[in-house]
Amino acid sequence: MIKSQNALTEVESKELLSKAGIPVVETKLARSKKEAISISKEMSFPVVLKINSRDVIHKSDSGGVKLGLVNATQVGKAYSEIMSSIKRAYPEAQIEGISVQPMVPPGVEVIIGMSKDPQFGPVIMFGLGGILVEVLKDVSFRIVPVTERDAKEMIREIKGYPILEGYRGQKPASMPALEKLIVKVSQFVEKNIDIRELDLNPVFAYPDKAVAVDARIILE
Amino acid sequence: MFEEKLKEFEPIFYPRSIAVVGASANSIKAGTAWVWTLLTAGFPGHIYPVGSRGGRIGDLEIFPSLRLVPGEVDYVVVAVPRQSVLELLDDCVARSVKAVQFFTAGFSEMDAQQGRALEEQMVEKARQGNMRIIGPNCIGVYCPEQRIPFVMGTLGEGGGVGFVSQSGGIAGKLATIGIARHIKYSKGVSFGNGIDLDASDFLQYLAADPKTKVIGAYLEGTRNGARLFHTMKEVAKVKPLVVWKGGRTEAGAQAAMSHTGSLASSAAIWSAALRQAGAIEVYSLEELTDTLLVLQQFDHWQGTRAAIIGGLADGGGGMSVSAGDTCMDNGLEVPPLSLETRKELSALLGEVGSILHNPVDVSQAQFRGLATLFQAIDLVARDTSIDFVLIQEDIDILLPIYSWKGVEEINGFFVELGSNQNKPIVVVLPPGSAEAERLQAEHTLLKASIPVFCSMERAARALANLNKCSCWQGAR
Repeated sequence: MIKSQNALTEVESKELLSKAGIPVVETKLARSKKEAISISKEMSFPVVLKINSRDVIHKSDSGGVKLGLVNATQVGKAYSEIMSSIKRAYPEAQIEGISVQPMVPPGVEVIIGMSKDPQFGPVIMFGLGGILVEVLKDVSFRIVPVTERDAKEMIREIKGYPILEGYRGQKPASMPALEKLIVKVSQFVEKNIDIRELDLNPVFAYPDKAVAVDARIILE
Repeated sequence: MFEEKLKEFEPIFYPRSIAVVGASANSIKAGTAWVWTLLTAGFPGHIYPVGSRGGRIGDLEIFPSLRLVPGEVDYVVVAVPRQSVLELLDDCVARSVKAVQFFTAGFSEMDAQQGRALEEQMVEKARQGNMRIIGPNCIGVYCPEQRIPFVMGTLGEGGGVGFVSQSGGIAGKLATIGIARHIKYSKGVSFGNGIDLDASDFLQYLAADPKTKVIGAYLEGTRNGARLFHTMKEVAKVKPLVVWKGGRTEAGAQAAMSHTGSLASSAAIWSAALRQAGAIEVYSLEELTDTLLVLQQFDHWQGTRAAIIGGLADGGGGMSVSAGDTCMDNGLEVPPLSLETRKELSALLGEVGSILHNPVDVSQAQFRGLATLFQAIDLVARDTSIDFVLIQEDIDILLPIYSWKGVEEINGFFVELGSNQNKPIVVVLPPGSAEAERLQAEHTLLKASIPVFCSMERAARALANLNKCSCWQGAR
């Protein structure tokens, strides 16, 4: 059984990724309601508050995520609600605090991840985000190191690929941005060999860029 | 690339002498069978049976020990129990043997800890003695050119298809299916546990071997995935590489803490690795041999547009419709023939009862003579809107109409068609009640390098696989 010490929090994960040049949504840790409100004002509304704890795996299922907060009052209320929900759902959890990030506009949701295969070593995974991944398992894999050509091919292997090209009024995703992101993640895990698993889920893909909205890194 | 392997593996595929350890004059032993197999096949080099009780096998003297064998020994086949293995390796080193193949089983595949430890000792001895090990738990080398069959197997005709197999049983099947389907092998090897020489080594050899043009593989797992992945990438750049991965279940999955971890099944990763390396993945013994057959026959040919000729006599209609479906289900296209071709076909066959779309029903030709039938098929073959011709031939239907003589003429025409124009011709000859005649027709066609399949499904799948050959696209 994996010790939760090996799991980095969202804030820690994003910090590492950001240092490696991987685009992530700016996320700051608040250790008090007051701090959460002042960070929100700095970032400007609307914001998203999330529980920040290495012991909490399914944040939204346990009331640990509050979206679209438009003023200080809402932020304050959200802070309290998250704390009490999590204390109920995960009484043993070690809680570092609550993370604050700007609420970014919706884009095409994708997932980019990494895990270690016992035979081939680090592999990168790509798929369309949300329930499409969990239910349909519509994902593709490539062995690290993943080249730009590999990235191109693995994106196009997805059955739901037409959604990336823009579907029913939803704006298309930037293929070059996604390809570059996949390659960057491959390079990142190649350099950091003690990363055991990694999820960028979701990544929002826009016509001009792609950004990781949530991130989870698990170390050996 | 990998040229250094050619010299290194010469004693493995072209040994001048083979010693078989575990042979006996009286009882039925694997070693004895091996000696007889080599004798029957006409192995041109020296054969030295070795067995503690001595005696004779045919004209050959059985030496009580490898150390007593006169002359040089290139290659040793070992069919003795596990206990004797280390001592035997010492004997091999003493005789400066180049390669030792262990038919003996019961190592790490049976008993992880002790078996593994023994294997490590074996490799250590081999390293010190400048020797290579094949196996254990394998049936070794198949090389028609050097008259080396698999034990108790028949030797087929030599050619340009190479194969490696982690399973001895499947290696044996590849050899026998090759004989049945006229797949001609350059070399084959069953490498078993691969404690020293493994899939990567043999794939590298086949990539360098000038006699090998196409490579097939059956793999179950690897001790060095990074090396195998890199090897397959390099090999697939120069020759078509077809891989059947057996065993799609988990190999000790750890508890995953991420989406990625829980979705990354062993089968999915192997498929990704094969695709990324440029190999063609197949999913059964049939698909492996079918694909090797078309790669052997249709050098550097790619295309997805099929012309289907159904209803040579009758039986068009429904069979043709399903043939079209099957081709499309397998990634092929069945485009309409050109206007010109259709006009000419119409003039030749008349419009009534003939379907001049694709699949083409030429059954009306039965009222106008074989010459007309041949003309019609020739027309279709030369149409530039298609890449190859799939012909449905049902012997049960043809025999009553054309008699055996007519059927022979028809198949003779297919052979001619194959050689006097450049589009691949493939014949689907399904089983029925006239089996003896069907087999004869199949043999005639295969001998003349026309691939024959027992179902449209298998034909379509094999042809679709041609297009997955990355090194023929010049893309990599």
